[in-house]
Amino acid sequence: MSAPRASGYLRTRYAQDYALLETRTQKACALAFAVLLAAYPFLAGPLALDLANQVLLGSIGAVALMLLTGYAGQISLGHAGLLAAGAFTGGILFKELGAPFWITLPAAALVGAGLGIAFGLPSLRLRGLYLAVSTLALHFIVIHAGAEYETRRGFSTGIVIDPPKIGDWVLRDARAWYFVLLAFALANLLFALNLLRSRTGRAWRAVHGREAVAEALGISVRRAKLAAFVVSSAITAIAGCLFAYYRGFVSAEAFSLYLTIQYVAMIIIGGMGSLLGAVLGTAFVTVFPYAIEALMRVGGLAERLSSIVFAVNYAAFGLVMLLFLVFEPQGLVGIWRRIQEWFLLWPFKQRPLSK
Amino acid sequence: MQLFVNIAVLASIYALICCGYVLIYRVSRVLSLAHGELMMLAAYGLYATASLFSQHPLLAVAVAAGLALAVGAAVYAALMWRMTGESVLAAVLATIALGILLRGLMVLAFGTQTQYPLRDLGWANASFAVGSARISGVGAALVLGTALVYGGLFAFLRGTRWGLRMRAAGQNPLLAAQRGVRLHGIYALAWALATFTGGMAGMLIACDAGLEGTLVTIGLKAFPAALVGGLDSLLGALIGSLIVAGAEVLLIHYVDPLLSDVVPFLVLLAMLVLRPWGLFGSREELDRV
Amino acid sequence: MSKKHLIAAALVALPMAAAAQNAYVVGVSAAMTGPVAGTYAPVVDAMKAYLEHLNAKGGVNGKPVRLVVLDDQAQPSRAAANAKQLVSQERVLMLLNTSLSSTYAPMVAEAKAAGIPLYFAGAVCPKDTFPPADPLQFCSTAFGANLDSQAALAFVKAQTSEPVRIGFAAMAIPVSRGEIDYAEGLSKTLGMTPVEKQITPPPTPDYTPFATKLKDANPNWMYSWAPWVSQVRTFEAMRRLGWAGRYITWAHLNAEEELARVRDSGFFVIGTNAFLEDNLPVHAEMRAVAHRAGLSHPVSYLTEGYVAGMVLESALRNTSWPPTSQKLLAAMNSLKVDLKGLRGGPLEWTKENHFRTRQYYRVWRWDTSANRVARVQDWRPIDVQR
Repeated sequence: MSAPRASGYLRTRYAQDYALLETRTQKACALAFAVLLAAYPFLAGPLALDLANQVLLGSIGAVALMLLTGYAGQISLGHAGLLAAGAFTGGILFKELGAPFWITLPAAALVGAGLGIAFGLPSLRLRGLYLAVSTLALHFIVIHAGAEYETRRGFSTGIVIDPPKIGDWVLRDARAWYFVLLAFALANLLFALNLLRSRTGRAWRAVHGREAVAEALGISVRRAKLAAFVVSSAITAIAGCLFAYYRGFVSAEAFSLYLTIQYVAMIIIGGMGSLLGAVLGTAFVTVFPYAIEALMRVGGLAERLSSIVFAVNYAAFGLVMLLFLVFEPQGLVGIWRRIQEWFLLWPFKQRPLSK
Repeated sequence: MQLFVNIAVLASIYALICCGYVLIYRVSRVLSLAHGELMMLAAYGLYATASLFSQHPLLAVAVAAGLALAVGAAVYAALMWRMTGESVLAAVLATIALGILLRGLMVLAFGTQTQYPLRDLGWANASFAVGSARISGVGAALVLGTALVYGGLFAFLRGTRWGLRMRAAGQNPLLAAQRGVRLHGIYALAWALATFTGGMAGMLIACDAGLEGTLVTIGLKAFPAALVGGLDSLLGALIGSLIVAGAEVLLIHYVDPLLSDVVPFLVLLAMLVLRPWGLFGSREELDRV
Repeated sequence: MSKKHLIAAALVALPMAAAAQNAYVVGVSAAMTGPVAGTYAPVVDAMKAYLEHLNAKGGVNGKPVRLVVLDDQAQPSRAAANAKQLVSQERVLMLLNTSLSSTYAPMVAEAKAAGIPLYFAGAVCPKDTFPPADPLQFCSTAFGANLDSQAALAFVKAQTSEPVRIGFAAMAIPVSRGEIDYAEGLSKTLGMTPVEKQITPPPTPDYTPFATKLKDANPNWMYSWAPWVSQVRTFEAMRRLGWAGRYITWAHLNAEEELARVRDSGFFVIGTNAFLEDNLPVHAEMRAVAHRAGLSHPVSYLTEGYVAGMVLESALRNTSWPPTSQKLLAAMNSLKVDLKGLRGGPLEWTKENHFRTRQYYRVWRWDTSANRVARVQDWRPIDVQR
């Protein structure tokens, strides 16, 4: 799927065209990485473990948004609304019917898919900014509905949800959550990776490139756009439902516009049009505030006047986002690729003009 | 009667804020989501000058207005010119990031307490009668200011050389540039004017209700009005503000005050489905986005 | 068995206890930034300053008190992450919440899972702290649901000889709406006529439309129980429309400063914290502490945080070293704190009552002739039972 490697690796069988991991080095690296992932929860402290869980959880939503915005080219500012829809589906089903997680998760996916159609319909008529704004309007409506449910039913400080149970075993331990979330995140990543290599994924990219040309190639632009919204929304809603279970509560205030901004920041900082970027961006945005805080603690500034530390943190997030937008529009993936190139091409600096 | 006055005041607030969204979008095709923060920054500017020139309130207001203009131009010079030609999303995101940065910096510089610039200027917000209704001093200033700003902008865009250049840059930047219009200058001017008008709204709201964090959210609340009217039309912004403000005030009075929060967005959604380019926006516009 | 072994055994037996640290550690999740920070940051800063002052005097039982403050920006998910971090990483003895009510659910869940007390200071007291109280939740915040309305309406009744036509104003947040609904029902039982009720959404550019409707109903009294912005803006908008009635509302942190700004003798505030106007000996101490800590808030904003600091100090003083959450809980279940006049009487917690056994109310307004804040009603106690 990617450009041939500098090593001169040649594909000799059709099956090799389908393989996700091609060379032995790649396989070895993947194995090493898998071992590292499996060992992580036993090495990390509680905060680091919680951070990892947040990254895994966030990456599901970020990958979904990347599919929609980075690949299919449809801008959405309704991401927090979709996460809320998933979380509320879980919360309401749990509160009203006492439904277990194996009902709430698929239900959330269904609700997400339905909302995906609602969010996607304007995309048939609108493009760019106007589309973004229509999804923003839907965001406000979903949140308002959730808040009304809370007020009417008297859960004014949020709906508390019990952790998922299988038989007598309760999913509460952070380590257990880590493996559950890891499984979800990996499955989601694999699904996205394969979807993008399929007909649907290629259609999305064509629509992103130029709609008229895509239409001329025989792609149904309408169907491709709607499919992008539905798939992305369903995944996002599942992520929202998982979020509700992980945190143990649902509340309309948890899904502010700022959350959407954070998700958009994840895919921009990570690098548009790259799944790796979505994951890297999630890690960056999640860990960044903690890193700043730790840095200030080392500097001995944190103990005095706590309110200043937090304002600095806030400002720094804005600043970093700006710096990425201005100086590294390719995002973290751009930096990663440049490092790769540097090693691949050494001692040269440029790729040869003809490939 | 009081209802009409209330609608006029609320519509003025929205119109004055919207004006900034429209100016920037019309000229440079960028949606500025840092508008709320810039409004607040301008209001803090007034707060700072009010305590600096406590003896000369008029001087303080003039300096604050000048500061707002300068801040707008500075935002363009320091940041937004780098985003010209980038994708729509990147430019919008840059304004969001700028907003977050500004909000953090404002908390650092001014703290989180509510400030009262009007009191610092030594003025009071008295009210007077208009027919059977009453209007506050700041409310009257809002209506008057909005009328002046819109009148001035129409005259500027229609009647002056710079206004012509600005319209040209908005219609076809490439051609305009080739005819010798300095795009960066025009864009900077648009940002300066937008920050000035938004800042004016921010200062007046701060005079009326005190200066604190929710000012930013009010900036966002005015946004549906701009879209209902059409993002690239000043007249549209005015009409859109009237529609949204009217709907809001009447709903509060006759139906349920709780609805006033979502209704602007419902109106907006209906508008986007039926007539996505807004009441007065240009239609071909949309296909070019 | 050596001492080392004993400590190791204790660590194994009580994984959640903070025995490993050489200080009493308390974890705070607060809205230090964000749109509502103005209400909550002064409380935390004052509490912090108080505890620093306490540590400089030698701490509690010879050990310092360490306050770990994390910002949640009034966002529930940040509060959830903060609570997790405070419990699992900082191993705090207790959790403290100074934020919007939407952050309560995740913190309650975390406190319950860890079995440690959760103390609300400067944030709305949840229902669970009133008798019969939840075993883990405590609250010292001045305002209390239902009681405040009872005190305010009783004051209105005592002040007025003619029939009372009362209007209500709330903000569109669940706590405020619930309280105003309660007050509306209560007013009827007191023989008043409720004439109008308006609920304003949190970011409102102009309060006049709401005020118009209230004024048109022509009440002679107004009662509002909401965040300060909503209370005072509604009042100011009504005055500008020419309304001449009297308005009573809750005295938030900034009430004293605001009375001097509004300067209207028909604007009453009711509250449970003393004003700087009273010039108590403890106020001089507060000034000194605030000055040493370099706090930028006006001293009148600090009372609530100072009270929380005093409560924290005496709860920890009754928790012998090495501290555990169980010991602290036992101490908090029978606590009596002398507040040195900052409130009408001591703050008392019992096993059933984690709010306080008796609440004292004062009412102030601006005295236009003397040009200062004047007391209209001195401490009036209400017993807390349910």
